[in-house]
Amino acid sequence: MKNSSLKTRYLAPILGLVFFLAVWQFISGFYNPVIVPSPAETWRSFFSLAASGLLWEQGRQTITRGLAGFGLAVLVGTPLGFLIGLNQTMASIFQPLVVVLQVTPLISWLLLAMIWIGFSRVPLFVVFVTTLPLIIINTIQGIKNVDLQLLQMAAVFRVDKLRIIKEVYFPQVIPYLFAGLAAALGTTWRAAAMAELLSVNQGVGAGMAVARANLETAALFAWTFFLIILGLLTDRLLSYLSRQKLNQWK
Amino acid sequence: MIPLDYFGFNHVYKSFGQTKVLDDFSFSVPSGKIICLIGPSGCGKTTILNLLAGLEQPDTGSISGTADLRISCVFQEPRLLPWKTVSENISFVLQDLTLSRQQELIEMYLKAMGLYEYRDSYPKALSGGMKQRLALCRAFAFPHDLLLLDEPFKSLDTPLRMELVQQVAGMWGENPRTIIFVTHDILDALLLGHFILVLSAKPAAMLDTLEINIPLGERDIAKVPFPVYYNHILALLGGKTNSPERPVTTTA
Repeated sequence: MKNSSLKTRYLAPILGLVFFLAVWQFISGFYNPVIVPSPAETWRSFFSLAASGLLWEQGRQTITRGLAGFGLAVLVGTPLGFLIGLNQTMASIFQPLVVVLQVTPLISWLLLAMIWIGFSRVPLFVVFVTTLPLIIINTIQGIKNVDLQLLQMAAVFRVDKLRIIKEVYFPQVIPYLFAGLAAALGTTWRAAAMAELLSVNQGVGAGMAVARANLETAALFAWTFFLIILGLLTDRLLSYLSRQKLNQWK
Repeated sequence: MIPLDYFGFNHVYKSFGQTKVLDDFSFSVPSGKIICLIGPSGCGKTTILNLLAGLEQPDTGSISGTADLRISCVFQEPRLLPWKTVSENISFVLQDLTLSRQQELIEMYLKAMGLYEYRDSYPKALSGGMKQRLALCRAFAFPHDLLLLDEPFKSLDTPLRMELVQQVAGMWGENPRTIIFVTHDILDALLLGHFILVLSAKPAAMLDTLEINIPLGERDIAKVPFPVYYNHILALLGGKTNSPERPVTTTA
């Protein structure tokens, strides 16, 4: 039993990865490297980007912008989610706007931001507007699922409203908030790179734009892998923090 | 009219959708006593408590004598905050007291209920019975004029149940305040009630009100008049009994 769970946990993903690399290698044999570079060519490109310092330099720009936009969305979205979740009037005013924010195409935000705020701040703005609804909606969802029996208990003992929000609502919203953060982080790196591609000349997106212009497909793949690794790392870190926060009492 | 220092319901009606729970329901009892409400499951006992606690409002009629009362409650479920420790679950409701007074009360009640060594544990480490005892600690520690107990011993085994009944009696003896104790167990009612209000099935109507004047610590349910009371209540609730005659109020 233990042996089989170890197999499922470690061996299966490695086998999946080997299979993926094998298929990739096989397909790349049929095409020019400009169309489909092999895994080895991609690795060489990744290594040379890292050795030249470009990977870190451009990566740092993307991470900074991404985290700034994401952090701002968390700071604005969490209290706004609480307001909408707790107050019917606020819900009537803001909920339709949140839906509009959610369904507006990324490209519209990109182009509008270029006109409104100038090129340099476009990535931060785009990350902010695309992650904000995810944080708000998850916070509202958490509030809607708060245990009513605990709220009744707090009401009978006349616990004041602020403490109820802090000590009854907030701990129950945290798992939903973490789910929102995970979804928002996934979007963060995609939105940041996309915005950089079209608006600035530094960052992973800008690196991809250069690679595309020079037909360096292996470099394009390498940048893509950088974004995938970044996404996986931040996702793992977030689920670790979530477990640390919740395991104590769950 | 309900006299001063009494409290009760005046012709209260309460429905949930098409279901009538209380239909012209009235009663009045003196403050400072333990009043047991006994009736079949689903007859509306919890609704009566919710109305007293202010969690529900009557459709018509009124509730007298509970305005401005500080109300404490033990629900059917422990209703603990899982992210707070045993001590923190009690201090959560003691916000108006100083920290030292909070600590004093927490220590006193946790020791009385045998939970003191668990004060820093989270509720997940407690058994069902321990959680219910913690809910009792919280309710007793909260400064109150009226304590509502909604079948708090429902899920507990008989020895623990008897022990907790004795503890509630002891705590009332030290500080007599009004307790409304909802139960469907006749023995609990006989051991704890100064007044026993026997309710019919939904919509709840008062079948009988018994007053027991024997002090709480001196009640021996094997001796007269308790078997008579027992059989009488059982007969009212539809159980089979050999002597369903109406008992007279008994004084020790």
